Amino acid sequence: MVKKISISKYLAYLFLIVLCVIWAVPVLFGITTSFRSQAEVVSSGFRLLPVNWIMDNYTTILGNTSTAPILRWLMNSLFIATAHTFLVIVVISLTGYGYSRMNFKGRDTLFFTLLGISFFPGVVNLIPSYKIIDALGWVNTAWAMIIPGLAGMGNIFLVRQFMKGIPNELDESARVDGAGDFKIYASVILPLIKPVLIVCGLFSFIGSWNDFLWPVIVYTDVDKMPVTAGLLLLQDIYGNYRMIGQLMGSAILAMIPTFILFLFAQKHFLQSINLNSGIKG
Amino acid sequence: MNKKSFTPYFFVGPHLILFAIFILLPTIYGIYASFTQWNLMNDPVWVGFDNYKTILFNSDSTFYTQFKNGLKNTLLFVVLTVPILIVIPLMIAVALEHKKVKMKGFMQSILYIPGLISISAAALIWSLIFNKQLGITGNIFGSTVAWAANQPYAWITIIVLTIWGGVGGNMIIYRASINGVSKDLYEAAEIDGAGPIRKFSSITLPSIRFPLIYTFVMTTAGAFNVFGQPLMMTDGGPRQSTHVLMMYIRQLAFGHGESIAGMASAMAVLLGLVILVISALQYYVMNRNAS
Repeated sequence: MVKKISISKYLAYLFLIVLCVIWAVPVLFGITTSFRSQAEVVSSGFRLLPVNWIMDNYTTILGNTSTAPILRWLMNSLFIATAHTFLVIVVISLTGYGYSRMNFKGRDTLFFTLLGISFFPGVVNLIPSYKIIDALGWVNTAWAMIIPGLAGMGNIFLVRQFMKGIPNELDESARVDGAGDFKIYASVILPLIKPVLIVCGLFSFIGSWNDFLWPVIVYTDVDKMPVTAGLLLLQDIYGNYRMIGQLMGSAILAMIPTFILFLFAQKHFLQSINLNSGIKG
Repeated sequence: MNKKSFTPYFFVGPHLILFAIFILLPTIYGIYASFTQWNLMNDPVWVGFDNYKTILFNSDSTFYTQFKNGLKNTLLFVVLTVPILIVIPLMIAVALEHKKVKMKGFMQSILYIPGLISISAAALIWSLIFNKQLGITGNIFGSTVAWAANQPYAWITIIVLTIWGGVGGNMIIYRASINGVSKDLYEAAEIDGAGPIRKFSSITLPSIRFPLIYTFVMTTAGAFNVFGQPLMMTDGGPRQSTHVLMMYIRQLAFGHGESIAGMASAMAVLLGLVILVISALQYYVMNRNAS
């Protein structure tokens, strides 16, 4: 029995360690390559650590403000993702309150109709969405990425579900004290649903930051695009692996913000789906 | 509190407007556009089922060839990635739940982080790994092929990138679910002399049935929308063998030259239908088998 446990322990370790190495090496390799000169990369092939650490790649990419303005792209992404996240939190908390706490005719029918429609695959509305963004004059503006995602139902479903777990007695006692819906929303419900809002906010930020298909479609102006769409241009600009350090440096810069967010909010990312599976299971 | 009030509209109204403009309207318009000839600029011209007939039956048309090739490659991607995106995260979750394993949090973070990296940044790094002269495949494993330009290597690069970035989400779901399974069940099974495999198949798997169905359906639907990985890694090559349907749809609607948005919409509707049917089928079959 004792032996059995140790064999399975070593198997588990072996599996996990092999995977972790495979998972970590590409990023580490990308980071170290961004500190190597092109000559060194080409002459010595694969090495995990540079012979000479240089900063030139970063000074070059940060200095390129015309064809690949990466700082501009990062600022665009940061603005888009932050504004989107803030609005997501406002919209889902208000709407979730409406669908779980307010009483109006056809409330649940309306909610489940919207939810049902939203299950229809998004690929169908891609082309008309572009047309709508164009009609609103939002092509090549941040609005194209900030606003449309607010219409989604997934987060509202989660918030509504979470609110249903909050006992009604809390609102009722506030109502007896003379509070209206806005007061109850702001001072009773909002503080209590903070955990679910944090999780939805984090995933909205990451989702917005990493979105790829949509920005590739709505941005043609190099100065206006977010960094994910910008990186697509780089393979041409930094010449199909003729300027590898620059390519890697750009990719690394694009990763830093989400990585920092993960470091600070690790526990929310990793426990988040508890909530999900709790609902599904 | 008997008065008819507008307060509910304040709470659900803003989202309702957003929903109408950015989900309802484009979905209806997308279906409508699939029955038209449309260049995104002028008004669409109604053509009935012509687009569908061309795509599905006219073997002389390039749209027919593109759709067939795109759907074939998309299906291939789904079949090659989805099972791995279920099995590996499940194995990781089980390994991480092992009582004696330490540094769980650290290992979990390493496996999770690639999921936070954008597809374009990840693809740049993996392209270097697979680069013939400079990368790992060439220098350590002595491969002399240009991976992105030859099959089956082109598919391997796309799949590796997808698995690398995709295991984290499902891993967290499985871990949380396995954690929620009552420890008493395992103890009872141990007393009855059940080994680890037996415990996994008769306790763990049935207990996490709903998360399994959920992740299976969601992962599959997501895989059908594949776009970024082939675009960045192979640009559809070699000879269009990794050119997925989403790339054709984007090309037709937003590519160089005049937009063929009507035809692209018909392809989008067909892809949407495939996703709907397969999701429903998965849900139905798995739910029935499980109960």
